[in-house]
Amino acid sequence: MRRKASLILLALAVFFAALSPLLRWYAFPRLAKIPPNQYQDMVLEAKDATLLDYATMQARKVPKVTIVQTLKGNVEESEKIEKTAGKDVVVWDGLSYVVGPDGEMVSQIPERYIFDAHTQEPVHATGEMVDGDPVRRDGIEFKWPFLTEKRDYEYFDAQARVTAPIHYKGTRDFRGVDVYYFEQTIPWTKVPMPKTMPVEGVTPESIAETGTTRWYTTVRKFWVEPLTGAPVYGEEIHEEELRGGTLLGDRDKVTAFAGHVKMREDYIKSTVDLVNSNRTLVLLMTSYLPWGFLILGALLLALSLYLEARSRRPADPAGVETAAPEPVSA
Amino acid sequence: MYQFRLSGGVRMRALIAAATGLAVALALVLTITALGSPTGETSPKPLLTTVPAHP
Repeated sequence: MRRKASLILLALAVFFAALSPLLRWYAFPRLAKIPPNQYQDMVLEAKDATLLDYATMQARKVPKVTIVQTLKGNVEESEKIEKTAGKDVVVWDGLSYVVGPDGEMVSQIPERYIFDAHTQEPVHATGEMVDGDPVRRDGIEFKWPFLTEKRDYEYFDAQARVTAPIHYKGTRDFRGVDVYYFEQTIPWTKVPMPKTMPVEGVTPESIAETGTTRWYTTVRKFWVEPLTGAPVYGEEIHEEELRGGTLLGDRDKVTAFAGHVKMREDYIKSTVDLVNSNRTLVLLMTSYLPWGFLILGALLLALSLYLEARSRRPADPAGVETAAPEPVSA
Repeated sequence: MYQFRLSGGVRMRALIAAATGLAVALALVLTITALGSPTGETSPKPLLTTVPAHP
């Protein structure tokens, strides 16, 4: 009986011991992925910003400019691309919608970002674009890979349509979460005019005819939770200028936008909560379960060996019985 | 000192038990990863052009 139990325990010990590395190095990389139907929105604000009034072509101080960013997973498109790419693909249709202090649209930039659901590496397919212009991303955008490393990454800048390094600058504590801090500086770069302008009748083509060009620089900052690769917070020190041409009269340049863009407080809280819950799931797969299974396997093996040893211990000497005492009669 | 030595039959049974444990672990992990997660459908919610009041 003990021998049977020790064999069962041995089988269980091997089962759990094998499950430990299989879960961490086989199952986790295959199961950890961005769902193709994810929908998320984010609100960022630039308080006391400078904004160009296109009616007067004068820059003015405004109390607040709001950026509403939406990302929507396009399941049908991802399934189409998966057939040729041969891997799990996510297609994010995004919109960055900028609203002025009066609630009117300042600019809107749609984009399509196609990437590997597991590694977040960009996937190139027809439809990859920013504001209708075909682009080729050679770096990540919006999200870092699972198990982010302490190193620089290539990050795609949608305004300049270029991929440039985003530098790892150290580990920080952000509201109780250990995060990696990344920073990217895009120097002054000539960028295309948005296809949709805030003033009716003004088009990128009509501005181009005046010889005026749009320039942009930014310092982009991300605080990234390394297990999930999700940014818990982001900031941008963003400046845009219109330069040259007849549109500006005798001026060389005018500020189109300047502001320190930060995530809105309620969105920071909800992002931190979401990342914390996803972080627990990743920890379960990469740490808690593998280590737990390994320890359980070792304990079961020890118990199995103990039972096996007990079953082999020599039995008490047979046939030695103590005789019942005889009644003594006087 | 107690000698822990396995006879041929016991060794074979232990080997079979260990192989069974390994096979079940492999089968379980392969099944879970092969099943994956459902893809779902594209959200009907629009790309936002107004400032939401809350997340």
